[in-house]
Amino acid sequence: MNPREEKVKIITEEFIENDEDADMGRQNKNSKVRRQPRKKQPPTAVPKEMVSEKSHLGNPQEPVQEEPKTRLLSMTVRRGPRSLPPIPSTSRTGFAEFSMRGRMREKLQAARSKAESALLQEIPTPRPRRLRSPSKKELETEFGTEPGKEVERTQQEVDSQSYSRVKFHDSARKIKPKPQDEEELLNGDDAEDLLLGLDHVADDFVAVRPADYESIHDRLQIEREMLFIPSRQTVPTYKKLPENVQPRFLEDEGLYTGVRPEVARTNQNIMENRLLMQDPERRWFGDDGRILALPNPIKPFPSRPPVLTQEQSIKAELETLYKKAVKYVHSSQHVIRSGDPPGNFQLDIDISGLIFTHHPCFSREHVLAAKLAQLYDQYLARHQRNKAKFLTDKLQALRNAVQTGLDPEKPHQSLDTIQKTINEYKSEIRQTRKFRDAEQEKDRTLLKTIIKVWKEMKSLREFQRFTNTPLKLVLRKEKADQKADEEAYEAEIQAEISELLEEHTEEYAQKMEEYRTSLHQWKARRKAQRAKKKKRKQAAEEHPGDEIAEPYPEEDLVKPSPPEPTDRAVIEQEVRERAAQSRRRPWEPTLVPELSLAGSVTPNDQCPRAEVWRREDVKKRSVYLKVLFNNKEVSRTVSRPLGADFRVHFGQIFNLQIVNWPESLTLQVYETIGHSNPTLLAEVFLPIPETTVVTGRAPTEEVEFSSNQHVTLDHEGVGSGVPFSFEADGSNQLTLMTSGKVSHSVAWAIGENGIPLIPPLSQQNIGFRSALKKADAISSIGTSGLTDMKKLAKWAAESKLDPNDPNNAPLMQLISVATSGESYVPDFFRLEQLQQEFNFVSDQELNRSKRFRLLHLRSQEVPEFRNYKQVPVYDREIMEKVFQDYEKRLRDRNVIETKEHIDTHRAIVAKYLQQVRESVINRFLIAKQYFLLADMIVEEEVPNISILGLSLFKLAEQKRPLRPRRKGRKKVTAQNLSDGDIKLLVNIVRAYDIPVRKPAVSKFQQLSRSSRMFSEKHAASPSTYSPTHNADYPLGQVLVRPFVEVSFQRTVCHTTTAEGPNPSWNEELELPFRAPNGDYSTASLQSVKDVVFINIFDEVLHEVLEDDRERGSGIHTRIERHWLGCVKIPFSTIYFQARIDGTFKIDIPPVLLGYSKEQNMILERGFDSVRSLSEGSYITLFITIEPQLVPGESIREKMSNMLKKFESQEDEKLLQATEKFQAECALKFPNRQCLTTVIDISGKTVFITRYLKPLNPPQELLNVYPNNLQATAELVARYVSLIPFLPDTVSFGGICDLWSTSDQFLDLLAGDEEEHAVLLCNYFLSLGKKAWLLMGNAIPEGPTAYVLTWEQGRYLIWNPCSGHFYGQFDTFCPLKNVGCLIGPDNIWFNIQRYDSPLRINFDVTRPKLWKSFFSRSLPYPGLSSVQPEELIYQRSDKAAAAELQDRIEKILKEKIMDWRPRHLTRWNRYCTSTLRHFLPLLEKSQGEDVEDDHRAELLKQLGDYRFSGFPLHMPYSEVKPLIDAVYSTGVHNIDVPNVEFALAVYIHPYPKNVLSVWIYVASLIRNR
Amino acid sequence: MATASPSVFLLMVNGQVESAQFPEYDDLYCKYCFVYGQDWAPTAGLEEGISQITSKSQDVRQALVWNFPIDVTFKSTNPYGWPQIVLSVYGPDMFGNDVVRGYGAVHVPFSPGRHKRTIPMFVPESTSKLQKFTSWFMGRRPEYTDPKVVAQGEGREDENAEAEIPRSTWVSLCPSPAWLMLPFCPQ
Repeated sequence: MNPREEKVKIITEEFIENDEDADMGRQNKNSKVRRQPRKKQPPTAVPKEMVSEKSHLGNPQEPVQEEPKTRLLSMTVRRGPRSLPPIPSTSRTGFAEFSMRGRMREKLQAARSKAESALLQEIPTPRPRRLRSPSKKELETEFGTEPGKEVERTQQEVDSQSYSRVKFHDSARKIKPKPQDEEELLNGDDAEDLLLGLDHVADDFVAVRPADYESIHDRLQIEREMLFIPSRQTVPTYKKLPENVQPRFLEDEGLYTGVRPEVARTNQNIMENRLLMQDPERRWFGDDGRILALPNPIKPFPSRPPVLTQEQSIKAELETLYKKAVKYVHSSQHVIRSGDPPGNFQLDIDISGLIFTHHPCFSREHVLAAKLAQLYDQYLARHQRNKAKFLTDKLQALRNAVQTGLDPEKPHQSLDTIQKTINEYKSEIRQTRKFRDAEQEKDRTLLKTIIKVWKEMKSLREFQRFTNTPLKLVLRKEKADQKADEEAYEAEIQAEISELLEEHTEEYAQKMEEYRTSLHQWKARRKAQRAKKKKRKQAAEEHPGDEIAEPYPEEDLVKPSPPEPTDRAVIEQEVRERAAQSRRRPWEPTLVPELSLAGSVTPNDQCPRAEVWRREDVKKRSVYLKVLFNNKEVSRTVSRPLGADFRVHFGQIFNLQIVNWPESLTLQVYETIGHSNPTLLAEVFLPIPETTVVTGRAPTEEVEFSSNQHVTLDHEGVGSGVPFSFEADGSNQLTLMTSGKVSHSVAWAIGENGIPLIPPLSQQNIGFRSALKKADAISSIGTSGLTDMKKLAKWAAESKLDPNDPNNAPLMQLISVATSGESYVPDFFRLEQLQQEFNFVSDQELNRSKRFRLLHLRSQEVPEFRNYKQVPVYDREIMEKVFQDYEKRLRDRNVIETKEHIDTHRAIVAKYLQQVRESVINRFLIAKQYFLLADMIVEEEVPNISILGLSLFKLAEQKRPLRPRRKGRKKVTAQNLSDGDIKLLVNIVRAYDIPVRKPAVSKFQQLSRSSRMFSEKHAASPSTYSPTHNADYPLGQVLVRPFVEVSFQRTVCHTTTAEGPNPSWNEELELPFRAPNGDYSTASLQSVKDVVFINIFDEVLHEVLEDDRERGSGIHTRIERHWLGCVKIPFSTIYFQARIDGTFKIDIPPVLLGYSKEQNMILERGFDSVRSLSEGSYITLFITIEPQLVPGESIREKMSNMLKKFESQEDEKLLQATEKFQAECALKFPNRQCLTTVIDISGKTVFITRYLKPLNPPQELLNVYPNNLQATAELVARYVSLIPFLPDTVSFGGICDLWSTSDQFLDLLAGDEEEHAVLLCNYFLSLGKKAWLLMGNAIPEGPTAYVLTWEQGRYLIWNPCSGHFYGQFDTFCPLKNVGCLIGPDNIWFNIQRYDSPLRINFDVTRPKLWKSFFSRSLPYPGLSSVQPEELIYQRSDKAAAAELQDRIEKILKEKIMDWRPRHLTRWNRYCTSTLRHFLPLLEKSQGEDVEDDHRAELLKQLGDYRFSGFPLHMPYSEVKPLIDAVYSTGVHNIDVPNVEFALAVYIHPYPKNVLSVWIYVASLIRNR
Repeated sequence: MATASPSVFLLMVNGQVESAQFPEYDDLYCKYCFVYGQDWAPTAGLEEGISQITSKSQDVRQALVWNFPIDVTFKSTNPYGWPQIVLSVYGPDMFGNDVVRGYGAVHVPFSPGRHKRTIPMFVPESTSKLQKFTSWFMGRRPEYTDPKVVAQGEGREDENAEAEIPRSTWVSLCPSPAWLMLPFCPQ
């Protein structure tokens, strides 16, 4: 078990060797004696024991006195003559032990007597010393090994005992140099005991080793040593802080620290102690000597809404509002569909007007006026802000603050802080002053310009002698108190001077300081240099060469010059100059400009011609605006004439209901001159409003625009983009462009109930802006424009926020974002901010861990790992190959596997299907884990009246009724099954119209050969059907001897051989069923793709006797079997149907050489006219699974229920109607299928009639029989049937039935009955037939979809998957009952008494027979179709088909050779090529009416071969079904030595890559 | 070396189903079984057991004493899926049908040593009054398809409404699992 034990053993052995060593023996006894009691003592007794030990040490005799207290009766007895010091014992040894004890005693006494003397002489042997070496632990283990042993504790030798004790105490001390407390002493004792214990083992018990046992307090002891239990004492602060650091309390310094979470003092102490011990680096403690802690994250009050006690009150307080979910698609993928409701988002654009700041028709005066107006606007804006005043005030305030700060009367703060604040103030004063000066100067210059422009304008008006604009500027002078003004001015200057002076002196002092230090340095260096120089000189004398190499750095040493002190006068001069420049002088009056439109415009008749023309031109012009949303014009304003003042007023509000996320909003300014076409002047881009801006709150904004058009006018107008000048000489030219301003406001509208109609932020717009929007602080400030981040950051930095205050946290974060550069903007928010703190290992490391990966994959239920058991503990134990399969699959996901599929298109489709399947499965994974109550709890149904009645009725029933009813079998849930439990039972009842053998010879061929093919034995036996009296069969042989072979999952069973074309077997075959991977869960069973093949063979006996002479003495025959046809039934059908019972059409190849049906037909026609009507052969079967499995119906139901709730684009009313309709139907006829809504491939519920719509069949097919509608219909049906069949239950694991539209179906080239039926129905509709989708039950498919057509007075039922059609009254029609009919505009449910197509009337116009969905009360709303407008067919690729044909042929040939491993497979090329020529003919005629020609042809060509073979025809999906089909025919089973084979493949491509595959397999035997 | 014997740790459980308090019922027996995770496998001992039928004691306690031993050893590589013991108690009803009287589950204690557990027992309730009556009448009380579901979380959402904790019935289980956790170290 562990090394300890081994060691102990070794030690023990040593003792065995030294068995005679009496000394040891005695010691051992002592120890035992002492040990025993101690063990029994409870731990509390330890101190007492210690006392006794000590007494032993001190005085060996002492224990004797103690003894009587503890000793028992037995002991006194045993003590006997010797007055030995007994052990301090509390022994409770019973009398039962006496016998043993007695023996022990004897032994010990003997030993003792032998050793007694020796001990006295002997000095302690070295052995005990040696024994000290094993560590304490080991000893303890040993100590624990002998719990049950009862040892005597009588005789003790005082000497030895005391001696040994002393010794072991020593040893104990050595082990533990500083025994501190009781525990440790105890340990010492233990060690001692153990040592002695060893001896004892050696002595008495060598082989017997009882089980290990650690007593609880030993364990506690170990734990105490191993574990560190931190003390609860408060840790002194100095321990927690680095040395010589005083604790610092941030809170006292006025910084925000937050509230620490409450932790009990003791816990805190424990934690601190632990941290000190464990992690002495002290990073855990803050400056204040406490453990670092984040502020308490817990809110002071819970934020959960109050729980309402009663349901009523919930209803009362919450207003529920139903809103249909609207799918929001953003513009990149948005397609506005007709069915979509209009967008619910509204943008209000208010365009109030347009002002031109320049226009080609501006006269010169207008130009100036515009300029003046602009300047005046500027002036007003500045005036309103009055920054200069604000800054002056601030300056004043700051100065005051400095004054008071310097005031010594102020309460003492630390001098330091005062100085600091004053310094700050001063620097601020300086800055403010600078700003103020600048502002004042600007104000002044602005005023000056205004006046200048006004003057220019006046002069212009005078010059041209008319006025065009009503603009008028009045300058108002505001007289001020000159004296006060002057004083203030002076005071200001003085203050400034003094400040500057102060500044300068400061600077001076600083410079002085610098100067001094530099001077000092300089001096020192010079000294050094001098010394160096000297030295160098000396050196140079010695080595003159070196001098050049090292130039003196003396040039660098410039003697620093002292700074110049500042002169007050100079400063004053400067200040005054500046003031004069920028400030209003005290004697000047304040000038206030006022612009008014009070002036009068000169009327037209007083103006010169040019000006009149200009005015006329202006009048002709009109302007309108277009509103463009996402670069699409959405509306435009009315056209308004341009006013003489070049202002246009619109005052229009546009409400844009939008669906797309707004990307751009543009206004286009159009100008019309007279009646000419409007010209685009300019485009104005409006910003899309913030989501916070809603109507009513949006301010009117002005957006400037300008155009770059060049206009020259022949009148007074200055034009645009053309230089002009105000001066007469044409100097000082100006070029102005047409420009203007649009005043508008854009805002989000508010809905009726006050909800702003704002679209949710779409992905693409979540950028910088929205990331910042998360920072609440910004919006609280109220700025919607987060445009200038830098400014904000600057502001935040200047405003000195407390970074620790949580209120500022968003701002601080924002600032950090802004300052760290805009490149880093988190477009996420962190859900668990502290996650990082809790990560015990880095993510990479975690991902690298194989074990973690394995566990992860398993929990994800990745198929490879779903049932992985016992994930190894260590990474190193996990094999790489565990992942290999999985990784391979991942890699292959995107690689298209062409090996299996050959055809790339199909490979792609297969991949696609795989992906759809995966996504569907993932989607329903949750639902799968959803259990119903019935899944968990078994509960008896409540017997209702009908059941009770029935059971009562049963009592009166006959015990053995004449017509017994089938009793329901017990259903078995799939979980507790294993291999071999499930069997497939196939009962083959009978067959009809099996093809019969033809005499292999035509009449003109040699008759001799026919004699070979016969069976003499049966010739005599008169079969009931055997037409022995038929003239055509002179030989009177049996026509056919069929037997049935059923193969399933490679298990093959066959019936006995029957005779005649209508054989009756009535045999039951039992085939075992194995679920894939032994997984018998419902999901797994549903996805079983295996097919039951039921093959019908003809057993042919061949006589092998070559010699006629032996005929008399023996019969040598060989049995050959000829394949006649097969029936395929997928397992999934059996599984869902539970039983299959019916007559099926046998799939017989179109050409069966050597067999014919005509003969048969002639025969039968006599007595069974119904049967003879049908073509083909039939077989009656009964198939079931034993025991009956519960199909996963419940899960499917759940799924579909869930799906219905999922999503639908249908109208709510319609959905409700469908539910109602279905419920009504189910109530009346629960067994009839009623389908109103189906689920499309994207998982949405779609009304079923939307699938039906006339769709064009491929033109190619229509061209074949342009005049024969019926033939075309058959051809189309054949085309549809050529599309491979793939049940949804297989592809989607029984989850749900998905309907794909016809174009999807044609793209996928796989689907189940519904898709086939829908496509066929659509084709028929487009051919102009009356066609319906027919939902019902058929054999063997179960619930399925057929197509019903009305042609020439009769109804035809089409099986879309096989392409066959049946008359309504055809007995062999596989459709057994009819649930409902679906047309393109209505659904009719069958409410007739019967549902068999034979017995019902298909006239849907009769409401008594058919319940229609849309009726007068619910008219058809005109639902749009989900089908495409038109199907587009690519021409199929002939070359690819030919290539595929070759490949398949090659594969099949290889397969046949593989299946015949023991024989040589020869290929007859000649025959193959013949067959190859024949196959296209078959395709052309669809396998009819070629047999005779073909036979003749073959016979002609292969005259001396016996030939058996047939063509197989199937749609192409994969290679595997082809191989299976060939295999199932059993052609390869022939083992005649000289057999030859022929195999030809023909693929006929139809449009859309639909391939029809023909395989002709044949075996040939040469006739000699 | 590692490949030959993958490291596992062992969990040895021994204990007993001591007694139960079912004041209303008598002559009960109990079954136990273990539910454990994928990485666990029993190596020794019995995974399931069915006890003798016991009658109420005649004293005031009216305890149903089984003293039915449990002894099983598991090995595992992963503490996830720590074994739970599932107990189900059955007894005859008025008509002599064996019906379930209680289900309960508890994790095997995580630390070594003696532990005593008292498990509250419950039975699923009928979905309706009528059903309750018929189930009583026919002696087919609602019961779990598999007693192990009481130790699993799956599919229990619905059932909460139905499965109530009816009586103050308790089974005290005393598994004293002296368990050994030996990270196996092959040399």
